[in-house]
Amino acid sequence: MIRYECLELLASKISDQLVVTSQSGQRIEWSHLSRHEGNLLVGMMGCAIGVATGLALALPHRKVIALDSDGSVLLSLFNLATLGNLQPKNLVVYVFDNGVYSGSRISYPTATSGNTDLASMARAAGIKNAQTIGAFEEFKKAGIEALGKSELGFFVCKVEESLLHREIPRPVTDLAENKYTFVRYLERTEKKTFPFVGRG
Amino acid sequence: MKQELAQKLVQSLKDAGVNFVTYLPETRLSQIVPLMRDDREIDLIAVANESEAVTIAAGATLGGKQAAVYMENTGIFVSCYSLLTVGRQLGVPLLLVVAYLGGVADLRNSFLYATIGRHSIPVLDGLGIDHQVLVDGDKLETQIKDAMRAANSLRSPYALLFAGEFSE
Repeated sequence: MIRYECLELLASKISDQLVVTSQSGQRIEWSHLSRHEGNLLVGMMGCAIGVATGLALALPHRKVIALDSDGSVLLSLFNLATLGNLQPKNLVVYVFDNGVYSGSRISYPTATSGNTDLASMARAAGIKNAQTIGAFEEFKKAGIEALGKSELGFFVCKVEESLLHREIPRPVTDLAENKYTFVRYLERTEKKTFPFVGRG
Repeated sequence: MKQELAQKLVQSLKDAGVNFVTYLPETRLSQIVPLMRDDREIDLIAVANESEAVTIAAGATLGGKQAAVYMENTGIFVSCYSLLTVGRQLGVPLLLVVAYLGGVADLRNSFLYATIGRHSIPVLDGLGIDHQVLVDGDKLETQIKDAMRAANSLRSPYALLFAGEFSE
C-alpha cells in the first residue's frame, strides 16, 4: 500500500474535520494534498496523538483525525493506554507504518519491522477498534468508514517505504502561522473567542 | 496540604478560567484531584506520562479550553520534549501546576527529593519557561490569575511551583 494514495483518498473526504499530523513524510505529503484550514501540521515526532486527543476532548462534536507514523507512536506508547481509557468517540488515528525511520536517510528499521505489532498493542491497551490495514481496498472500506462512526478508531496502515515526500515541495507555512490559521478557523466555525488569541 | 488550602487552590484555578486539567498524581497537592473530579466546570483528564499531559492539554488549549497541567516536578524532566516542541516552539499557553519536591521550601524534603528539586528551576530556565514559587496561600487567587494571564500573553507554558504550606 502506498501512503500518498491513502492520503489522497482521505483528503477527498475532508470537510470540517480537524487534522493533526506528526513530523514525517506524511506531513509533507498531507500539506501538499490538503490546504484545509483545519490542518495542524505539528512539526515534531511523538506529539500528534496527544494534541489530537486534547482537541477531541475539547471539541467532542468535531471529528478529529491524527496522521501518525510507526516511529512517532513508538516514541509515545503511553498514548495507547490513555486513549484506551479515554475512548474519545470523535477521534480517528491513522498510523502509516512503513517499518523504517525513513527520515534518517538510512532507512533504519523500526520495531514494527521486527516483532512489534502496534494494532495488537493498541487493542491490549483498551482501544477496541484497533486494526491493521494491509491493502488499499481495506483502507477504502474500514479506514474511511471510520470517519462516519462515533467510535475511537486506530488504524495501523502498512505502507511501503516511499521517498516521494522528498520530491514534493515541503510546506512553507511557519508553525505559528499554521497555528493561528487553525485557531482562527476554529473560532470562526465554533463561533467563539479563544482565551489566548487577540488582546493586542 | 490542608483541605482548606486545597479548596482555595482549586477555586483559584477556576477563577483564573481554568476548565481543563491533565494530571499525573503525586503526593504534595493530591487533595486537589478529588475536588477537581467532582467539579463539573473542570474536565479532568488522567494520563500515563507527563509528556502527554502537556500535549493533550495543548490540544485542548488549541480547541478553546483554558488548560492546566498538574504534575510533580519530576514531570518537568519527563515532559521536557513536549514542553519545548509543543509548548514553546508552537507557542501554546499552559498553566503548569507543579508540586515542588526537593525545593528549599519543601517541608517534606529529604535525600530522595533534593537533587530533583535542585535541578527543576534550571531546567525550566533552560526551556525558557517563566516560573514562580508559591509557599503560602495568602495571595493565591491573584498569583494564579497573574500566571494564567502571563501564559496567555506569552503564548507559552508558565510554571507555578508549590512548596511551603502546600507541602505539609
